[in-house]
Amino acid sequence: MSDNGNHTFEPEITAFMCIYCADMSADTAGALHVQYPANVKLVKMPCTGKTDVKYILDAFEHGADGVYVVGCPIGNCHHVRGNERARKRIERAKKLLDEIGIGGQRLDIFFVSGGMGETFARCAHEMTERIRALGPNPLRAKERD
Amino acid sequence: MRREIGNVMVIGGGVAGMRAAVDLAEAGLQVYLVESAPALGGRVAQLGYMFPTHDCVLCRGTSDHGYGCTRPAISPAFQDHNLHPNIRVLTLTNVIRVDGQAGDFRVVLRHEPRYVDPARCINCDMCSLVCPVTLPSSFQQELATRKAAYKLAVRSIPNAYIIDRGPYCDDCGRCVAVCPTQCINLNEEPRELEVHVGAIIMALGYDLADAREYEEFGFGRYPNVIHSMQYERLASRSGPTEGIVLRPSDGQRPKRIAWLQCVGSRDQKHPYCSSICCMYATKEAMIAKERLPGVHAQVFMMDERAFNKEFNAYYETARRKFGVEYTRARISFIKEDPETKDLLLHYPGPDGKMVTDRFDMVVLSLGTVPPRSAGELARELGIELNPYGFCQTDKFMPLETSVPGVYVCGTFLSPKEISETFLDASGAAGEVMRLLRSQLGRSPSSRQYPFLSADGEFPEERDVSGEPPRVGVFVCRCEPAIDGTLDTQGIRDFALKLPGVVHAELLAYGCQEPDLRRIRQAVVERNLNRVVIAGCSPRTHEPLFQRIVRQAGLNPYLLSMANIREQCAWVHEGQPDLATRKAKETVRMAVERVRRAQPVHRLSVAPTRRALVIGGGVAGMQAALSIADAGYNVTLVERNAQLGGNLRHIFYVAEGQNPQRLLRDLVNRVRGHERIEVFTRSEVKSHTGRTGDFRSVVVTHTGPLDVETEVRHAVTIVATGGEEWRGDVYMLGQDERVVTQLDLEEIIVHRPEEITRLKQVVMIQCVHPPSEVDYCSRVCCTNTMKNAIRVKMLNPGCQVYVLYKDMITYGFREQFYTEARRRGVIFMRYDEQHLPQVSRADDGRLEVRAWEQVFGREITLTPDLVALSMAVVPSPGTAELAKILDVPLSVEGFFQEAHLKMRPMDFMDEGIFMAGMSHYPKFIEEAITNAQAAAARAITLLAKEPLYYGGPVAVVDQDKCVGCLTCVRTCPFQIPKIRADFTGVGGIVGAAYIEPALCQGCGTCTAECPAKAIQLMAYLDAQLAGELTGAWAA
Repeated sequence: MSDNGNHTFEPEITAFMCIYCADMSADTAGALHVQYPANVKLVKMPCTGKTDVKYILDAFEHGADGVYVVGCPIGNCHHVRGNERARKRIERAKKLLDEIGIGGQRLDIFFVSGGMGETFARCAHEMTERIRALGPNPLRAKERD
Repeated sequence: MRREIGNVMVIGGGVAGMRAAVDLAEAGLQVYLVESAPALGGRVAQLGYMFPTHDCVLCRGTSDHGYGCTRPAISPAFQDHNLHPNIRVLTLTNVIRVDGQAGDFRVVLRHEPRYVDPARCINCDMCSLVCPVTLPSSFQQELATRKAAYKLAVRSIPNAYIIDRGPYCDDCGRCVAVCPTQCINLNEEPRELEVHVGAIIMALGYDLADAREYEEFGFGRYPNVIHSMQYERLASRSGPTEGIVLRPSDGQRPKRIAWLQCVGSRDQKHPYCSSICCMYATKEAMIAKERLPGVHAQVFMMDERAFNKEFNAYYETARRKFGVEYTRARISFIKEDPETKDLLLHYPGPDGKMVTDRFDMVVLSLGTVPPRSAGELARELGIELNPYGFCQTDKFMPLETSVPGVYVCGTFLSPKEISETFLDASGAAGEVMRLLRSQLGRSPSSRQYPFLSADGEFPEERDVSGEPPRVGVFVCRCEPAIDGTLDTQGIRDFALKLPGVVHAELLAYGCQEPDLRRIRQAVVERNLNRVVIAGCSPRTHEPLFQRIVRQAGLNPYLLSMANIREQCAWVHEGQPDLATRKAKETVRMAVERVRRAQPVHRLSVAPTRRALVIGGGVAGMQAALSIADAGYNVTLVERNAQLGGNLRHIFYVAEGQNPQRLLRDLVNRVRGHERIEVFTRSEVKSHTGRTGDFRSVVVTHTGPLDVETEVRHAVTIVATGGEEWRGDVYMLGQDERVVTQLDLEEIIVHRPEEITRLKQVVMIQCVHPPSEVDYCSRVCCTNTMKNAIRVKMLNPGCQVYVLYKDMITYGFREQFYTEARRRGVIFMRYDEQHLPQVSRADDGRLEVRAWEQVFGREITLTPDLVALSMAVVPSPGTAELAKILDVPLSVEGFFQEAHLKMRPMDFMDEGIFMAGMSHYPKFIEEAITNAQAAAARAITLLAKEPLYYGGPVAVVDQDKCVGCLTCVRTCPFQIPKIRADFTGVGGIVGAAYIEPALCQGCGTCTAECPAKAIQLMAYLDAQLAGELTGAWAA
């Protein structure tokens, strides 16, 4: 089932990000032309606190191999504690993904300040590498069978 | 020379100038904001973190639902495409000449060439790439380089490059040749402009002391000696290392860092305290501890001046939790180990013997000096400077310069931190509003839309309900920025096949004419009801396109942007095929999202033209006068029979002015003002409604019967003050020779003969209630100096001892500490482990036992009088009032502001402000400034017609609500309430209600509501679900 070692596999990843620090760090990466894989699609939220578990499950259901959330650094949320709520929710969703066989490792959350273009790109690399090692989303793999 | 007419000129585009400009603009005045640098932001733009909150959140600088962090700005009013319609920003501009007087100034400005047209610069970086000249970056404090063709910072306002044609530029012209929009013109000449304004605000900021002047510290010779602003850049996430502090000599992570305090402060040359260094060094040391595991951080200081809200707790956290070491020593020189480039410091150890310590990095905590441009500008304007070179003002008119109509704010007035700078800035704006009251509201602006607009500039909005979506997709080529990597033609063709899309076209530069016109035309001609712009970042351009679709008759929320530049073309340059695929998906997501978008409208209210001011002390009276003078009615409520508050018990001040005259003046003006209605012996009993339309009940205690009065008002200012704590400590109340400093002041003024009989006086600082939060009351040290000096003047032979923990005579108040020492006042430090003891000896004499730290032994004093510096505590009734207003209190028990640094005069609840000691202990001049600031913020709402609120906020569908309280618990701002008068699902009693005027629009409740009963209006679940389908419908 696992595609470990299959280096031709290009994972599809959805990243949810807030319009404050996260979106800005993505823009900073752009302004500095810091490169990262093109398989990461970005979905904007008013705050990571808006990240409904349902959105995450929807993304996996539609075929994402990995999902991650990017928000303001803890303590620096534009909405004070939205990112802390998101972190807790991600923990919950990870357990859920483990239970239904998709695997919690396919989900993560990062906290990035607006000036950290390099770090934003590093998150994209890190998730891509991790999901590549994990192989395709089992739901998608089944579809292919 | 061109001539223009406005209302106000603000000189200086740092946070003070920007804040003042926004408040003035919101009050309907036309503002010129003049900045000599190429971009706005000033010093604060270079700071990564603020003490003591460790956040940057400049994005929360204003109360509106601003889009995104706008660093270096403080408000969405400062984005190129969302500039406040009443603000004209002039960067690279200097004041050349000023003529005229208050109400009628003529200012000649000189604009230096940028050589780049900001309106046409697309920030593609091509000019910088080809530029052959590399220079140190001043923004990064010489820790990184830039080109001669450069942008000051990634995000700057104006959002454009600049060509630095200093002597190093050989005019090679490569930038001109490569610029795709031909926006570089090396023949641009300086321009002069004459502006006619009624008032001027000086917000010049400060400069740093020159580290090289202190040769003994080796700055510039020893690579590992850096100054504090360099450290700020190293620690900043937008700094050269994204926040990793590295040793300049070898790029290694430092293991031992020392901070040297008071470099350029409290010395012969700069005899004042710079007020901010203690706290920023603490912040820097804490950041080191966070980022560099195991690092040793040691601060060498004289006193730790942690004198504002939450500062003391912050200092204690640094010491106890983070393990930052504080050593009381003033280092006199640094030596370098030439082998390792380590630095050697000598200082007295705990036992008094000199020790030598090795550090691998030393940070010089540089003090602040007057801005270097101040002298010349002051001469031109004719304003007086104080002996230190900062702006001179009167203690009781703290924001007025010596020239009527010219005001001052921020660090040009005195060294200060960000929150006080904001108070000054809004306060100065408030003073201008008073002066120019006849012009308030003359240039109305509107927050009806997600972008700022002048009133009534748009055609009627088209009703698109019932129409199937007709989406138009516009793809910017932005050649070569997007076109260079992506197949834009392919993206356009792909978009045309998407469901709901009826129109797709390529644009050359969508943000510029004639393409803007093409978008408007297409919306009308093709009868589009949804628009997608695939181009650059919504962060910079969304307000522009929202405005364009609104001009074409569509609701601005029917627009969606796909960022295929910063988040696609520029970050996947080596993968054009995959990047084009991602761009197509991004466009499809935007189409799916916008197809399901619904118009969003903000609600409005015509504000009642009245303010309620609670508290009739100096702050309340000043706030009432500022608002009334600006032309709005005020109801002033005071609990006591008399106005005046604490001012009634203050008879003289350290600086020499007469506070009783201020008291008489304020009371007479308040009592005589036609727009102020005063209720004494009265309290606020209830307070309901929302910004623009509050209703309060005021109860007046008139003997046996209470009289109730209902007041309708648009804004509320809380100025209920604080008071000297009177507790049962150090024999206070048990022995009449033990008094408080306020009592001593009374004796000095009314019974000075008693002072002449004294032989010894002991003054004990920092007397605070036991077991409560320890905080600095800010005013006591200076008051003690004031009384100690007066005792010495009346009775030079009297011994005066001051037992203190840290001597907190910040800013120019340092002179009183110096003066007290000069007059022979003896200072002895104590700490928590060695509290002084006061007792009565058998012979009836008072005894004070104190620990002498230098000699390490206890000494006994036998004073005739003991004066205690009692803590300032909130007025009684503060907690009850907080409940009535439904606003929070800080840990110290004072009212809690919307944001400690950015919004010190605002409550989180729109329309409620605070002033004076109800915020925190403060001096008279600080209370006045605070009151003027609160008044200015209030006037920005009073001057509006109408006031908009709500809109893209969370809305509860009560028919689905089970009243489970999840939203109440989840909201970071405590906005949702379960209302018993609402009916939930199945007719159950009680359902959630979210006040649209208070909701911040984060959507956290919508994500947790188990019944999915809450929707965020601009981020409907259906939109997000659609967007996700768009990402995957292969």
